[in-house]
Amino acid sequence: MNAIQIPAAATSREIIVSIISLNKSFGAFHVLKDVDLDVGRGEVVVIIGASGSGKSTLIRCVNGLEMYQSGRLTVDGFSMPTEADRAIGGERELARIRKGVGMVFQQFNLFPHMSAIDNVAIAPIRVRGRKPDEARANALRLLDRVGLRDHAHKLPSQLSGGQQQRVAIARSLAMEPHIMLFDEPTSALDPEMVGEVLDVMRELAREGMTMMIVTHEMGFAREVADRVVYIDHGRILETGTPAEIFDRPTHERTRTFLSRVLRH
Amino acid sequence: MTTLALRWVHRNLFAKPFDAALSLVIIPMLAWAVYAFAHWALVEAHWQVVGGSFKVLMTGIYPADQLWRAWFSVATLCAMFGAGLGLSVRPGRAASTVVALGVALTGVMVAVAIDVHSGMLAAGSAALGVAAWCGVHHLAADQRIVLSGLLAGVVAIFVVLSPPGFEVWGGLLLSVVLTIAVSILTLPFGILLALGRQSRITSLRVISTAYIETMRSVPLILVVYWIWIIVPLLAPDTSVPGLLRGMAGFALFFAAYVAEYVRSGLQAVPKGQIEAARSLAMSSWTLNVDIVLPQALRVVVPSLVGQILDIFNGATLVFIIGLTDFLRAGQMILADPQNSGRTYEIYVFLFAVYLAIGGAITYASRRLEAHLARGSR
Ligand SMILES: Nc1ncnc2c1ncn2[C@@H]1O[C@H](COP(=O)(O)OP(=O)(O)O)[C@@H](O)[C@H]1O
Ligand SMILES: [Mg+2]
Repeated sequence: MNAIQIPAAATSREIIVSIISLNKSFGAFHVLKDVDLDVGRGEVVVIIGASGSGKSTLIRCVNGLEMYQSGRLTVDGFSMPTEADRAIGGERELARIRKGVGMVFQQFNLFPHMSAIDNVAIAPIRVRGRKPDEARANALRLLDRVGLRDHAHKLPSQLSGGQQQRVAIARSLAMEPHIMLFDEPTSALDPEMVGEVLDVMRELAREGMTMMIVTHEMGFAREVADRVVYIDHGRILETGTPAEIFDRPTHERTRTFLSRVLRH
Repeated sequence: MTTLALRWVHRNLFAKPFDAALSLVIIPMLAWAVYAFAHWALVEAHWQVVGGSFKVLMTGIYPADQLWRAWFSVATLCAMFGAGLGLSVRPGRAASTVVALGVALTGVMVAVAIDVHSGMLAAGSAALGVAAWCGVHHLAADQRIVLSGLLAGVVAIFVVLSPPGFEVWGGLLLSVVLTIAVSILTLPFGILLALGRQSRITSLRVISTAYIETMRSVPLILVVYWIWIIVPLLAPDTSVPGLLRGMAGFALFFAAYVAEYVRSGLQAVPKGQIEAARSLAMSSWTLNVDIVLPQALRVVVPSLVGQILDIFNGATLVFIIGLTDFLRAGQMILADPQNSGRTYEIYVFLFAVYLAIGGAITYASRRLEAHLARGSR
């Protein structure tokens, strides 16, 4: 309603994710309320907000891990099947969208029974039909890119949290996504490992990857975000450039939230 | 040394008045029982009956001139057991010594019980098993290759044993082969049932659940008997050997239990694993085969190995469909008037063998559990 929208079109970018008046409830609990958001190709959108405000739910809708009740959501030009579509088998459409969307989770969610390199190679082999040799060679290149070439044959349990999260990023990149979703990728890490993961994400941003990032790392947000979105109780209250949101927030609630997280 | 022993005795057996009283009653009773048994086993028992009927105990009425087939199976089984062990247990020095002694002892015992030729074959088979153990361990062989090897071993045993006809299979060999075949057959069927029970497709879910619950609420012997009767009715023109019908009954029954184990394993796989797989656009098939099942099965391997013991012990029931398993073979020997006074010898032997095999399976299950607990996460 009174959300301030900077349409991605205004920055003359092709829109890759389009969210129009999205509503999502868990039973009687209304989590997302009339959310509108466009993400342009190559854009980095950072989503901030208090715990429980619906940040995870929002980005999980973008790759269909959560279903929504009303509104429109298109990704890469494909429209996300609604709850009703899925009941009658919208799986194929969903898989087509997911091939283009990578996701990195707070808890890494690496496959514990596979070495790092197999974690990265499995989806290209099984989903894209790549030859195992090629997929593994490419996996090794990606692990090299996130600085883990020497750890390629270790199991996730033999890696530190920061290393696991970098493997998880490589695993997503292996599917050659058009957009990457990050749900608090550094929140489960010991402080000394946060930097190595943020470095990889910074590098991705520099290469022009489209990203939607939920994070509490405000310094990082200010540095890499093209746009910052503040969510409050399931509603987008304010969006703008990092300077606009962090230095001149228009809403009282945004100010309160920022003063709380920036104090430490 | 003596003080240590005395202290141990004091702490463990006589710490409290009640302990002491109990120990004073139980220890003499145990000592007497051990003495009486040892006296009987070493002085009074006529163990020749075991040696004299060894062939029947081991193979039933399998033709004597075809026994090389049975020996082939023994050697293959030893190699398979060794290879399986090689996947999880390191052949250390202590273990090697124990096993080497075991091999020698097996050879000597069989040689004394039957003849030197058989003793050498038995020792050779056991040695082959040890070689497979060390070989698989040192080559750090790929699990998948070893598992295919085990499957090939089972097929080879069936192919080699079957020419004289399934009707003549018997004795311990029958019990063991039946157990292994049924254990393998229940796996795919049980996994499908477990997946069916979780399926989003209602008809699949209802059928799987009904099947599992039905099988779990009726006795094994009923299912086996029922399948034995019904197969000839369903296929009146073909005669399916009793052994295969029996195996089908066992497999259909135990698959329901496998399904329940697998289901508990499936539930142990964290939701994040499924979300990660979905976010990589994996299909339900890939998600299950490559991500969920390997993790779920890892959790339930010890239970599945434990279930092999249930199948082995359950195999004593096949006599109701006219098969001669190990226990039945023992009873057949006692039915011979010539052996009428040897009941205790035969039953003690049966008891010892069942205990040894059951103990080995239980041990393997424990080791696997420890091994897997260390290996993952
Ligand atoms: N599967 C679910 N079932 C019911 N409620 C949920 C579920 N997932 C999240 N919620 C609720 O939805 C709200 C938003 O959750 P979430 O999107 O995870 O918030 P955030 O990521 O901003 O902390 C929270 O109040 C949470 O308790
Ligand atoms: Mg969250």
